[in-house]
Amino acid sequence: MLEKVKEIARTVLAEKQADGVLGLMKGQWDIIQPHIFESPVEVDALVIEPKWLLAKMAMTVLRSSREGYRLAVVVRGCDERALTELVKRNQIEKERLVTIGIACTAEQAQACICDRPYPQKLDCGDAVAGVDPFSIESVKELLAGDGPARMEKWANILKRCIKCYGCRNSCPICVCVPCKLEDQVWVETGVIPAEVLSYHLIRAFHLSDTCVACGACQEACPVNIPLMALQLSMREMLRETYGYDAGLDPERNSPILYDLCKEPAAGQALPDWVNSLRKDDES
Amino acid sequence: MNPDFIKTICPYCGVGCGLVLKVEDGKVVGTYPDKEHPVSRGTLCIKGWSAHQFVHHADRLKTPLVKRGDTFEKISWDDAIALAVEKLQSTAARYGGDAIGGLSSAKCTNEENYLFQKMIRMAFKTNNVDHCARLCHAPTAVGMGQTTGSGAMTNSISDLAGAECILIIGSNAAESHPIIMGEIYKAADRGAAVVVVDPRKTAVAENAQVHLRINPGTDIPLLCGMMRHIIDEGLHNEKFIHDRMEGFDELKTFLRSWPVERAAKECGIAEEEIRRVAEMYARAKDAAAVYCMGITQHACGTANVHAVCDLAMLCGQIGKTFSGVYPLRGQNNVQGACDMGALPNVYPGYQSVSVPAVKEKFEKAWGRELSAKPGLTVTEMIGSAGKDIRALYIMAENPALSDPDVNHVLESLTKLDFLIVQDIFLTETAKFADLVLPAVCFAEKTGTYTNTERRFQLLRKAVEPPGEAKGDFEIICLLANALGLDFPYKHPGEVMEEIAKLVPEYGGIRFDRLEKAGLQWPCPDLKHEGTRFLHDVQFTRGKGLFIVPAYTPPFETPDGEYPYWLSTGRMFAHYHTGTMTRRSAFLSREMEGAYAEMHPEDAIKAGIREGDRIRITSRRGSIVTAARITKRVARGSVFAPFHFTEARANILTNPVLDPISKIPEFKACAARIEKEPHEKHER
Ligand code: SF4
Ligand code: SF4
Ligand code: SF4
Repeated sequence: MLEKVKEIARTVLAEKQADGVLGLMKGQWDIIQPHIFESPVEVDALVIEPKWLLAKMAMTVLRSSREGYRLAVVVRGCDERALTELVKRNQIEKERLVTIGIACTAEQAQACICDRPYPQKLDCGDAVAGVDPFSIESVKELLAGDGPARMEKWANILKRCIKCYGCRNSCPICVCVPCKLEDQVWVETGVIPAEVLSYHLIRAFHLSDTCVACGACQEACPVNIPLMALQLSMREMLRETYGYDAGLDPERNSPILYDLCKEPAAGQALPDWVNSLRKDDES
Repeated sequence: MNPDFIKTICPYCGVGCGLVLKVEDGKVVGTYPDKEHPVSRGTLCIKGWSAHQFVHHADRLKTPLVKRGDTFEKISWDDAIALAVEKLQSTAARYGGDAIGGLSSAKCTNEENYLFQKMIRMAFKTNNVDHCARLCHAPTAVGMGQTTGSGAMTNSISDLAGAECILIIGSNAAESHPIIMGEIYKAADRGAAVVVVDPRKTAVAENAQVHLRINPGTDIPLLCGMMRHIIDEGLHNEKFIHDRMEGFDELKTFLRSWPVERAAKECGIAEEEIRRVAEMYARAKDAAAVYCMGITQHACGTANVHAVCDLAMLCGQIGKTFSGVYPLRGQNNVQGACDMGALPNVYPGYQSVSVPAVKEKFEKAWGRELSAKPGLTVTEMIGSAGKDIRALYIMAENPALSDPDVNHVLESLTKLDFLIVQDIFLTETAKFADLVLPAVCFAEKTGTYTNTERRFQLLRKAVEPPGEAKGDFEIICLLANALGLDFPYKHPGEVMEEIAKLVPEYGGIRFDRLEKAGLQWPCPDLKHEGTRFLHDVQFTRGKGLFIVPAYTPPFETPDGEYPYWLSTGRMFAHYHTGTMTRRSAFLSREMEGAYAEMHPEDAIKAGIREGDRIRITSRRGSIVTAARITKRVARGSVFAPFHFTEARANILTNPVLDPISKIPEFKACAARIEKEPHEKHER
């Protein structure tokens, strides 16, 4: 599989489909790190393990590169979904992006509790079946109980937070400037743990309709807070209510912003301000 | 130009997390966590995430500066080196080599520390070389050295996750060593008991199963009470004590004077709690003891360390996985600076300067006559500035903020005939210098750091230094050669090879072996894979030694005039003297200015509200800072972080020293608090 990825990467560069390929490189002394490959020879050093999300890096690379620079990115399913969302949110110009899609192994899917361990555009490897996160005991346990019980459970877990901002920094879709978490109106500065409501829930809700279940937030958390359980439950609601999966359909916008006025959930009354969104949609 | 990604090591704390720096057009523009790093595994704390932010700060020193009158003037490197040589040599000629002192740096690499101490020792035939470990873990180096033979963390960070009981004494790891907390929580999630001993209700304490809020400075009474109970209940590990220890009878006899009742009274903890915690620790299959500045920064710091070791050895919780004693080292390379002999009494590898055979070995290797007389410590050098010490060479240290009783430090600095400061910014200390040498930061150099678990790690150069700044490595070589020594080194790797020849424990360390995971010393030969935990079949010193901990209560206690306990420490968004973190936009946003924590009841009594300006006064001076009202501190206590130059907590601290390790008592002194009138603005 690795050889095939390299072959594609070389072709992409040789045929000038892109000016650079962003992937992982095994360099001097076997050190693995992200790298932008610019010549087919260089591609010999390309590797695809470990899982290392590159979507956010791709965005910043494209932002600071010269006009018209085209970047190919070696993507797993989650990375592809993240790039799709970034394109939808006008953070990346579609024309400047090429993806080389690779499938994850079953073990990786298990480790990520990922229900779609492959990209839509699969170039290498065979897609394995996904894992239903809600069948996992630990996730069930985290989401069990009524409101107050859950609140208590989560307050206890989130009390460990050391406010590293890693969950925010590593999330490929968490890109707003300025960030609400840096707004002192909401989040007190200079103390840990970060507050549950104003820090953790603002972050989680701001990503409710864009989260692509990549797991980067949780992987970046030094104190092992199961942040994915928060995101997954919101993703599931969107899926149930609107049949919406962030990162899958490049053409479909978030129902929270758009579909709300077109196809409100059963029994839902819409506030007047929703009308203002309509114009946006039609223009 | 496309960005490049360079893996390197975090410049802040001793955890030594892995960073990936993003470099664009010769500038470091971002930091990402290293997914493959053996310790941090793709995570970082807030400081690590912000590590790139100070690198290209406008304040960076770009040329050598010489003091003329009250101002600094730029001079060339040639002139700077010539001036340094002339002043150092004339001082040595006039007053002898012992009039020269050198402060090496826990921020610099192993190779730089090695060269620094080698230069001072060779050029001036003095052992006056020390660094800020004196202010943090000197008691560990001495205390653990005496009990086990090695002053280093016995086990690896990842071992914590497998412990059944973790006793954390005087460490706010959640703010000071955040990445280590992940391992501790992993253990907790597997059912381990986490017990925290701390006068403050820190974030660690908040998340612990048991928090013992002891009276300041009463760690020894607590630990003695625990040990006494363990022996009374027969929970000590007799086999381990019999096979591997000495000095048990003395300890046992001594503990007769520490019944749990007395311990309880002294430390302000209920007897049952002491018994319960003692049993938790003693009954655990694998128990770990983690400690930090709350243990060491006392006038009985070394004895505190003895007591922690005694407990671990009493229960046989040393010399195996998932157990051990974990002194969490502060600076990124404080372990390395100690290992490399930047200490007044030992050469690299803790080989004593006063043992003739050792001295001969180094004389032969270096080709110069060396001094057998142990040198002065940081605090002694500064204390005798202008008297015994006439010229001081400070590499990347900032005693004007970090040392106790800084008003006195500043006064001392002015008494020197000549002061050289080599740093990346014009620090509070550098302002007092006669000659300032611009050095480079972590992102601009290659070399190795050793983290708190004895892991040699490679630092990789990502960008070029600003202006004419030069690497500390290069500066030391320039100066050493100008002083008539032969320092032909071109690359730090060559220095590492020299070190490997002189220190058996590092015999197998080579740059090309450090690869992605580094190597944990001891690593005696090129085939050796490094050592996960120490004291395996036998202690480094042979048998382990119980030492009776000599308890002395804090030197200064609250009284009518100074009714509060003052302690100092770190907070999560800043690092030490703030030279780097306060120039990092994201970190200063998180915590802009100085503050001190006080208890709500004390605040009400004093009519102080959140954010009010308060004046804290001790026998040594006073500072004005902002009040933060919180139950984190106990009633009658106040806590001030020492990062802030506008309110230097160390103006207040007591320079009384631990007689053995010479560490000052940062963690306890008496202070008074007053509300500061509004209109008055200090500084
Ligand atoms: S919230 Fe977490 S899982 Fe969702 S996209 Fe962001 S990083 Fe990935
Ligand atoms: S990654 Fe974890 S510790 Fe860091 S801010 Fe997020 S929840 Fe808190
Ligand atoms: S824990 Fe220490 S080494 Fe790790 S990122 Fe934070 S400051 Fe750097």
